[in-house]
Amino acid sequence: MTAQTIIQSLASGLLMGLLYGLIAVGLALIFGLMDVVNFAHGEFLMIAMYATFFLFAFFAIDPLLSAPLVAAALFVFGAVVYLLIVRFAVRAKANAGMVQIFSTFGLAIVMRGLAQYFFTPDYRSVTHSWLGGKTVSIGGIFLPEPQLIGAAVAIAAFGGLYFFINRTDFGRALEATREDAGAVALVGIDKNRVFALGWGLGAALVGLAGAIMSIFFYIYPDVGASFALIAYVTVALGGFGSVFGAFAGGIIVGLVEATTALLLPPSLKAVGIYAVYLLVVFVRPRGLFGSM
Amino acid sequence: MDTDFARSRRRDLIVAFVLAAIAAVVPLFVKDVYVQNIMVLTLMWGALSQSWNILSGYCGQISLGHALYFGIGAYTTALLFTKFGVLPWFGMIGGGLISAVIAMGLGYPCFRLRGHYFVIATIVIAEIGLLLFHNWDWAGAALGIDIPVRGDSWLKFQFTRSKLPYFYFALALACVAWFVTWWLEDSKWGYWWRAVKDNPEAAESLGVVVFNSKMGAAAVSAFLVAVGGSFYAQFVSYIDPESVMGFQFSLLMALPAVLGGIGTLWGPLLGAVILIPVTELTRSFIGGSGRGVDLIVYGGLIIAISLARPQGLVGLFTPKRKEAAR
Amino acid sequence: MTITRRNVLLGATAVAALAPIASRAQTSEVVIGVLYPLSGASAQQGVDAQKAYEAALDVINKNHEFDLPMAKGEGLSGLGGAKIRLIYADHQGDPQKGRAEAERLITQEKVCAIVGTYQSSVAVTVSQTCERYQIPFMSADNSSPSLHARGLKFFFRAAPHDEMFTKAMFDFYDALKKKGTKIETLALFHEDTIFGTDSANAQTKLANERGYKIVADIKYRSNTPSLSAEVQQLKVANADVLMPSSYTTDGILLVKTMAELGYKPNAIVAQAAGFSEKALYDAVGDKLEGVITRGSFSLDLAAKRPMVGAINALFKEKSGKDLNDNTSREFMALVVLADAVNRAKSTDGEKIRAALAATEIPGEQTIMPWKRVKFDEMGQNNDADPVLLQYIGGKFVTISPPQGVVAEAVWPMK
Repeated sequence: MTAQTIIQSLASGLLMGLLYGLIAVGLALIFGLMDVVNFAHGEFLMIAMYATFFLFAFFAIDPLLSAPLVAAALFVFGAVVYLLIVRFAVRAKANAGMVQIFSTFGLAIVMRGLAQYFFTPDYRSVTHSWLGGKTVSIGGIFLPEPQLIGAAVAIAAFGGLYFFINRTDFGRALEATREDAGAVALVGIDKNRVFALGWGLGAALVGLAGAIMSIFFYIYPDVGASFALIAYVTVALGGFGSVFGAFAGGIIVGLVEATTALLLPPSLKAVGIYAVYLLVVFVRPRGLFGSM
Repeated sequence: MDTDFARSRRRDLIVAFVLAAIAAVVPLFVKDVYVQNIMVLTLMWGALSQSWNILSGYCGQISLGHALYFGIGAYTTALLFTKFGVLPWFGMIGGGLISAVIAMGLGYPCFRLRGHYFVIATIVIAEIGLLLFHNWDWAGAALGIDIPVRGDSWLKFQFTRSKLPYFYFALALACVAWFVTWWLEDSKWGYWWRAVKDNPEAAESLGVVVFNSKMGAAAVSAFLVAVGGSFYAQFVSYIDPESVMGFQFSLLMALPAVLGGIGTLWGPLLGAVILIPVTELTRSFIGGSGRGVDLIVYGGLIIAISLARPQGLVGLFTPKRKEAAR
Repeated sequence: MTITRRNVLLGATAVAALAPIASRAQTSEVVIGVLYPLSGASAQQGVDAQKAYEAALDVINKNHEFDLPMAKGEGLSGLGGAKIRLIYADHQGDPQKGRAEAERLITQEKVCAIVGTYQSSVAVTVSQTCERYQIPFMSADNSSPSLHARGLKFFFRAAPHDEMFTKAMFDFYDALKKKGTKIETLALFHEDTIFGTDSANAQTKLANERGYKIVADIKYRSNTPSLSAEVQQLKVANADVLMPSSYTTDGILLVKTMAELGYKPNAIVAQAAGFSEKALYDAVGDKLEGVITRGSFSLDLAAKRPMVGAINALFKEKSGKDLNDNTSREFMALVVLADAVNRAKSTDGEKIRAALAATEIPGEQTIMPWKRVKFDEMGQNNDADPVLLQYIGGKFVTISPPQGVVAEAVWPMK
């Protein structure tokens, strides 16, 4: 094993990790806001990828250009999902936790079924794009451009989100609602509106991730399943309630995955991720940066 | 405890006895193997969900990783039989014991975790198990284990065409899981768990004993689920990692309890009675279209029930008096 | 328990609804069960398979002038022109569901044979069930060699299995080597499923026997989110031939990741699967000029045997795709089965089995490059010769075996 192999693996792992972070951050945001884990998160990613694909196939819009459109569409979708389903799930008088898990899990199955019904189970790809297949080589280390852009978008999204939560009125309203939903009602903030916007924002972030991913990934109704568990582990590893935690969690997951594949047979590389998660929470039961 | 509670417990026992007796004669009239197959699966998932409910419903430790124990049960039985000729009945007990020990070993660090941290820990532990079996050549790895069926035998617990022996075993398993739950409800453990649920401060003062009782619940729950896994291996006579240890099995164990009523005596069975036939029939009669309609119906049903009856469907059947008594 | 009472009701309704179909089935129709994954991660293969069977049904039930068993005239002449009716069922890739559906098809729908199943793990339980009910199971597209090795009486497979496919690859290497091409090292890249494992086992065995060195043997998790680490290892090994055993999803990701990490293998010889799917070439065909895949089917044959082109057109009309490795095998499986039912002049499982065992269809009367269809005592057709195809200029050309060659192989790939 040469130094170059190791550096290449770590570089690939880092880029992939930032992407994992971008996929997971929407989940972290929603959880932080209202303690709900969206079990349809992978399916949100799936429809974002389909949206990107169809914009490409019918209007020849490059994924980089369609990313904001897809994010906007997902924003609406996320808000609608909140208003139609999640709103009632959090209101449940009994077993609220289980109701949330299973209503969003049911939603995941319905979304897969609908995707198969309307889009057929065929495997799709964005065949031509500005960045697809392009790669930068620095001293024998290859850095694929789609992943580089993905990493840049991830960093920008985290920065923007940090600014948004800490420096804007709406961000403060979000934070306040998170801390005490009852009290904010007294000062005239509509809890449902804040939550709906939070869901929209979370979905918009996964929409960005989906648009970038579709440059180099295949698309089919079950594609979300490959990423969902990684996203949950990423958020929990970073600590629920912490947006920065999702960012850090993503990077750790990417690096651990790459390192494990160097040491163990690649078919076991996910074991490394899971083991690190267990180690972290056994030592720190609230994850790395968790607030609760 | 007041007499109302005692009376309702007695009534539960009588109802269970009558239902079990009715169930036992049903296959004498329903001869269709497809329907019998659904009945076997319903009873098996009812039993598994009932076992899951002991840890996740009563103790509140929500596990989405019980597929691990299911798989260990299935693999222990199949490996002991195909490699060493050990009869499945011993494999069943062995798999159950191994699972119980593992459950306690995992419970020790995991019970300190709360909420979603615990749930995700159970998921990833089961995934690690799945990956290890997938890469374990001696245990067949991805090729799985094909259990040779050489004719009907109670000793080897294999039957070529008849579903009846499997049906009665599944019925017995469901009865045992139900009875264990019934018995736990009125035990010391049951009181602690209820106390902890109703009053978090009580948890502090009861800390150590509750922790130990949770370990006990994990062991009982894992043992019963592993026996179910052993049964499944004999029933299907072929296992591979994906078909006994996949994440969907963990979900399938939780779903009936959630739909029927989590942490209730009758919820898991009721949930299984509705969920399993619906799953099977939608797949058989609309899945053939290849258009995903079965998924839409199945998922839609889960959303609808979990939103419409968060406390589970069991409330529709139990008299109010009982809820008040608890 | 309430469980069973409700089940009885549901079951009774189901049975009642089906009863008329079942009784009608026995008279003028021959009912055959078709078991595929029609939802879930492999649904695409199941839906494509449906189209292949529809095409075969068209050929059998309607009058066509092809020199193919059962094509001429309508329906099965041996059963007074009875038509074949197919019943599709979804097994979702789960062995237990596959078995339950097989039981339903046999006992409720009264099918006289079952064909399927794409996933080998499901074929294990389905073929066992067929054995128990004494009706034939025709394995159309399962390539696991362990399936026929179990010695089931009612198991039949007209198509090659992984060891035969792999042998074709190594025969091809040997021939190239004789001509002076350097092929010494191989890199295996396979998924952690039955398909990947069987394929890699066969490849390892033959490599050892014939003196090729395996410099990388990479087993990866199917549908993994990233293949960077895996490709990095392949790149370091830099073998003379890269031999992937991957489905469409991982195949696409593999090719894209190779391009991104600047790995250009000398040659790729794939164990079909994803590398015979249109979706893969739609996605990354531009990077695959010169890739070689094994196959059971070649459209080149249409030049010699015009009906191949005509049947391909029939299939394309239904599916929008050309026949490929899987769909061609599915098509042939139903034709071979129909031929046996016709000769058996009965829908009795045992009689169809006997007719299948006596099958002798010359290669010219198939759409395949096979010598003939004739089953050994295990139910395997050992005369189903695989081909090697090379992807050149947007289509596949046959480069091996010698009797079917259309063009010389381009080696190394571009």
